[in-house]
Parts: sequence; structure tokens; C-alpha cells
Amino acid sequence: MTLLGEFALWISLPVALWGMVLGYAGGRTQRGDLVLSAERSIYAVFGLLALAAAGVMAAFLNDRFEYWYVANYSNRELELFYKITGLWAGQRGSLLFWALLLAFFAVICVFQNRRKHREFMPYVAGVLQTILAFFIVVLLFADVNPFARLGFTPANGQGLNPQLQNYWMTIHPPTLYLGFTAFTIPFAFAMSALLSGRLDARWIQLTRRWILTSWLFLSVGIVMGMRWAYEELGWGGYWFWDPVENASLLPWLTATAFLHSIQIQENRGMLKVWNMSLVLLTFLLTIFATFLTRSGLIESVHSFAQELKIAFIFLGFMGGMLAACVVLIVYRLPDLKSENQIESFFSRESAFLFNNLMLLGAAFTVMWGTMFPLISEGVTGQQVTVGPPFFERVNFPIGLVLLALAGIGPVIAWRRATRKNLQRNFSTPVMVGLVVAAAIWISGARHPLALTTWGIGAFVLTIIVTEFWKGTRARARIEGEGYASALFHLVSRNRRRWGGYIVHVGIALMFMGFAGAAYNVDERHHLEPGETVEVASPMGHTYALTHEGLSVSRGGAMAQRNLLWQAIVNVSVARDGRPQGLLTTEKRQYATQEMGSPPMTEVGIKSYPLEDLYLILSELDNIESAVLSADSNEQGLYLQVLIKPLVSWIWLGCLILAGGTVVALWPSVDRRRSAEVPAGAFPEPATAGAAD
Amino acid sequence: MTLYVGVALVVAAVLLFIMQPVVKGLHASLEREDDELTETEARKRVALLALRDVEYDFLAGKLDEHDYRSLKSELTAEALAALEADEAARQGQRAPEDSSIEAEIARIRAGMKAGMVCAECGFANDEGSRFCSSCGHALAA
Repeated sequence: MTLLGEFALWISLPVALWGMVLGYAGGRTQRGDLVLSAERSIYAVFGLLALAAAGVMAAFLNDRFEYWYVANYSNRELELFYKITGLWAGQRGSLLFWALLLAFFAVICVFQNRRKHREFMPYVAGVLQTILAFFIVVLLFADVNPFARLGFTPANGQGLNPQLQNYWMTIHPPTLYLGFTAFTIPFAFAMSALLSGRLDARWIQLTRRWILTSWLFLSVGIVMGMRWAYEELGWGGYWFWDPVENASLLPWLTATAFLHSIQIQENRGMLKVWNMSLVLLTFLLTIFATFLTRSGLIESVHSFAQELKIAFIFLGFMGGMLAACVVLIVYRLPDLKSENQIESFFSRESAFLFNNLMLLGAAFTVMWGTMFPLISEGVTGQQVTVGPPFFERVNFPIGLVLLALAGIGPVIAWRRATRKNLQRNFSTPVMVGLVVAAAIWISGARHPLALTTWGIGAFVLTIIVTEFWKGTRARARIEGEGYASALFHLVSRNRRRWGGYIVHVGIALMFMGFAGAAYNVDERHHLEPGETVEVASPMGHTYALTHEGLSVSRGGAMAQRNLLWQAIVNVSVARDGRPQGLLTTEKRQYATQEMGSPPMTEVGIKSYPLEDLYLILSELDNIESAVLSADSNEQGLYLQVLIKPLVSWIWLGCLILAGGTVVALWPSVDRRRSAEVPAGAFPEPATAGAAD
Repeated sequence: MTLYVGVALVVAAVLLFIMQPVVKGLHASLEREDDELTETEARKRVALLALRDVEYDFLAGKLDEHDYRSLKSELTAEALAALEADEAARQGQRAPEDSSIEAEIARIRAGMKAGMVCAECGFANDEGSRFCSSCGHALAA
């Protein structure tokens, strides 16, 4: 099976190249047979890559340690679940997995469009196969072949990094990859539009759902990564501005910008060149993100030297794509003229434009901060890293402006807003925002950034809730419906608009959650068995934590999980005197860790709507005696107690954001009919006869 | 041995599958299908949706009377132009060139600037009109 997979990977390259050539040739000559063959080659590549992936999985399941990849990411004791997910545990497998997902989306795209949008498909097939061929070339020729052999067969593998043995870590990378790869489809359509000269807004309308799908997976994938960091890395944070995180944030920022700016093109026929540039930029950033996370480049220029081949192939591909796109855009410039101009600074167009500038500004900052260590090392030989303060100083203000725009955008009028229009729509929300900020100020929380965020968050929420309320009320009045059904019909009649508003609610909640970090509590206490310590939270609660004893287990059955020993401390929690049950935090030593490395920490988290209690077993008084002798379980320890306000708002916000995106994505029953405006929605224009 | 058979089978299947259209002359369509939105339809749709939004904004109390009327007459003019262009395209005639639509919009805009928008029906009249060409309502001088 594994050998067959390896052959399949080799065969997929000529097939992809064949499809690439025929796609372009078919588009150029308008020959249907070439195009059909190109489209079929996409199905074939998907099948071949699926065989290859199955081959890697078979190697994992059968403990075939003669393969470098299996030997480095698995061992006999690894749980079955992690053997299956071993496909994307490391660089080599995830590149194959990436290519497989891309082929999967390409298949869906070709199948969906087998009878429609045919004029785009030749070049779409060509572009998709180009990108697939690129990934297959990387897999085969950049020393990252998952089927590469060691030359000997070790008795056992190295095992999987324990930190990766976490539920979130198994679904976070695939989710991100789904987001990255799904964005390739809009990119392919954009290229097809450029190549074929069909430059109206159709390529955008055709790929709107793909863009949203990609955005959904990207957003959820990023937040899953935050959740993993929060639960697994054991220091209480969820975002570190580290290169891998930044790499996933970059395409999200530009994709978000794109999502907004295409609305201007659709509604007002403006920003065509800008949109083309954004789709290209986002696509390149998805490739860049894979490159960055999976090449080890960022840790140091020195690893760059070891990974020279893959770096050259990636940079060459990105450079080639960039050059080709720039040439195409310049060539088509006359057809990309704007049909309108922005009429006023106070208009939705300008709000969108401002949003785009902010997002791109944030993307540039993140990019600069991420690449700076490399650049500095390249130039001066000294690696100068820029820490979180750099990212935060620039991105917090940008974030606040974006948050405010999430409220302003939905209600400011298209074209031009008059003063009365602004007063009418913004006076109440601004008041609510000020009142909320003032109330929090009075209650004693005075952190300026946090206050501003909560004030603006309240402003956004008020605007969106008011929008829903006004819309529902107007509809209930006109159609004589009850409020519930009025709300339902309101949303289902224009899912895109209301879905977007729901997403804004999610974003506002997430920002308000981020601001909670200004009031984090972080205390370290020494506890003897039976001893109790009290910690006060910024929300006014008191937590009483009692050390209820240590339970240590070692060897034996735990070898199944690669564990040498595990020391669990039980802490009973009472909140304002009311018992809340037990919370555990532990130290674990894995057999697969390097000799002498410190044990891993598992944290204990208890979530409340307004704050999280986060316990870290910091240190045992005498770890040797705890581990070695069974009767020394009663000993003192250092417990780090963190209280993190509003963290659950981030996860809740993400759920709402995902829900809103799904609402916007949900297909209409009949696309053509829903395009028509129902009678009675507005008085018929004078020459109604001209309509159908 | 089984491996070689497997590989040979996979290669043969792939070759057959992707070469068949070229050898046998099977063609995929490269034309736009009849039931797809055309460009003029898409424009019409956008214009009508914009009108619907203004209507909604007014009913929801987000626009006052004056803003509503001026926005609506502007959008109505654009929607009409889009409707006509679509109608022309549908009847197989050559759709008016973009420039003529733009000229139409420019004419209507000029009319609006000069205050020639009918307060009754929203029709944008030529400059200097005294009565609305659409409903006959007297225009404010």
C-alpha cells in the first residue's frame, strides 16, 4: 500500500502537468476536448494524491519505521488516533495533506461547474493544475518526500511531540489548511478572468461562497490554534505573535479586506484593480504561510541554509506567480477602469476603503515584525526579534479603528451620508458606548485601552442589535407578521447582509474578550496538603483553593501513552464560599522527551461567563521523591493561580462569527428567483413594463 | 509482483480517463449556459437590490424623507438604465454601449443637480422643465 502510494505520487506529477498545459491550451484554442481532458486530469490527480496519503497512513498504522517521516513522528506506543493524524503532524506529511485538500476542492469546483460558468473553466483548470503541480514538485524534489527512507529500520520511532498530542492540535491544522486551500479557487477564477478578459464582477459573484468558506475555515482555524495554546502551552496566554501564528493571521487579514472590498466592486463598479491585487496577495500569503510554518525558515537564517532547496522552489513559485499576475493586471488595465467615484468621505464606500487600509496596515505590520529577525540577521548577522510590544503598539490602535468600523459600516449610507443621517443612526449607539465605558470607569476599572475597547464594543453591539430590531419591526408592520417570523424572513431574504452583521457581533465579543487581558491576575502560592489559599478576582469574586493531595502514577499501563510518570494535584475550588468541585493540574514526563528535559505541565481550567480560573502546577517541593516512592504523595507544591477575565467571550465570539458566516453562506433555494426583487418590496418604478 | 500489477492498473486507468476526450473527440462545453445571469442581468439585479435597500432603510427609520427621496431618484434612474440595457440585450439587440448608459446617467445626474427631480414620482427631468415628463406634476422652480 505504501509503495503504491509512493508510485501514485510520482504519477500525479505528469498528470498535473498535462492538465496544466491542456487547460491553458484549451482556453486559448477554445477546444472542448482539451478542456475536458484537463478537467478529468484534476479528478485523476485527486485520486492519485488520495492513494499517496493512504500510503502514508498505512505506513503509520503498520509502524514502518524505515520511512524517515514515520520514524520521526510516531512510535509503537502512539495511540491509534494520533497515528491516523500523523499524516499532518510534520512538514512532509502536511505538504502532501495540503496538496490533497487542494485537489479535493479543485474536484468540487470542477464538478460544480461541469455545466455552468463554462467560459471560465479552461483557465481555472489550468491554474489549479499549476498550483497542484507546484506542490507535487515540492514533495518530490525538495527533500521533503514523505516516502523518503532512512536506509535502515529502527526498532522504534521517535514518537510524537507530547504537546501535539492534544485534541485541538489534531483539528487545528486541517482547519487552517482547508481555509488556505479553499482560497485557491477564487484565485483561479480571478486568474481565469484576467486571462480570458471577462472582467466584470462575475468572477466575484461565482466565487463569493468559496471566499466565505475559506474565510470561515481560516477564522475558526486561527481561533482553534489560540485555544490549543491556551490549554496546552501552560502559561495562560492564547496569542504570542510568534511567526507561525502571524503566518496564519496574514492571509486572514487580507482575505477580510477582500471580503469587504468586493462589495464595493459589486455595488458600485469600483476598485477592480485593487480586488485583483487583494486576491493575488491573499493567495500568495496562504502559500507564504505554508512555507513559513513548514520550512523552519523563521527560527534562523541558518535553518534557511539547510532548507535551501525548498526555499528556492517556494520563493521561485511565489515570484513567478507574482510576476505573471502583475503582467496580466497591467495588460488588462484598460478593462479594469472604475465605473464610479467615491462621492463623499462620509459614505459606506469610504468606510469600506478605510477598513481595507487598516487591514492592510495591520498585515504589513505583522509581516514586517515577523520578517524583521530574518532581515536583521541577514544584514547585521545579529538576530533582533521584535516582541509582542511592537505588534501590540501598532495593532491595538488599528484593531480599535477596525472595531469601530464594524459598527459604522453597516449603518452609514452608500454614496453619501448627510449630517441628519449620521445623527439619526449614531447618536444612540455612541451614547450607549460612552455610558458603558463610564460605568466601567466608575466601577474602578481604569485601563484606557480596555475601557476604549469595551466602549466601542458596546457601540457596535448597540448598532447591530438596533439594526435587527428596526428591520424586524419594519417587516412585522408591513407584512403583518409576528416578530419571530418577521426576524426569520428578514434574515433569510438577505442572508448576506444579516449574516455579515452576526459576524460583526462575534468580532465585537472577541475584541471585548481580548481586552479582558488587561485585568489578568497572576499569583504564585505555596500550598501544603490541606492548606487553602484565597485569590480575589477583578470581577469581585473570591476563590478559595485547597490542596487536596497529589496522586502519582508511573510506568505500567501508561507506556501505552508514552508516559513515564504523571503527577496530578487535586485542588478543590470554592467560589465566594460555594463549592465548585475539583480542578486538577499535573506534571507529566514522556518517554519520548529528550533526556533531561523538564516535565510537561497540564493546566486546570474552570470557565465562568465572566472569567476563567486557570491553575498551573508550577513546582513540586520534591519531585524525585514524589515520582520514585509511592508513599511520598503528601507534599507541598507551588501553585500558580491565574484569573483571566472574559476569555470565554473569545470562544463564544468565534462561535457566533462562524454561525454568521454560515448564514451568509447558506445557499438560496433558487438563485435566479431570489435575485428578483419581490413585488411590494417597493413601489414599482414608473416604467414597470420594462421589467420582465 | 502484486505491486507492479497495481501500479500498471492505476496508470492504465488514469491514462484511459484523461486521454479519452482527446482521442475520442469528447467535447466539454465552453459556452455560457442560457440560464446563467448575464452581465446586464447582474447589473439590473444590483440596481434593484440597491433600491430595495434604500426602501428598507427608509422604512426602518434610518433615512429621513429628504435623503430618501434624493437617493431614491438617483437609484431609480440607474435601475431604469440597467433595466433598459438588459431588455435590449435580451431582445438580441446590441446592448447600448457602456458609454451611452453613462451618458444617460450623466444626463439624469445633471437634471438632479439642477433640482429637476419630481417630488411626486422621483423622475429626473431635463434641465429647465416646468412639469414632470412622467406624471405631469408641477416642478418647483
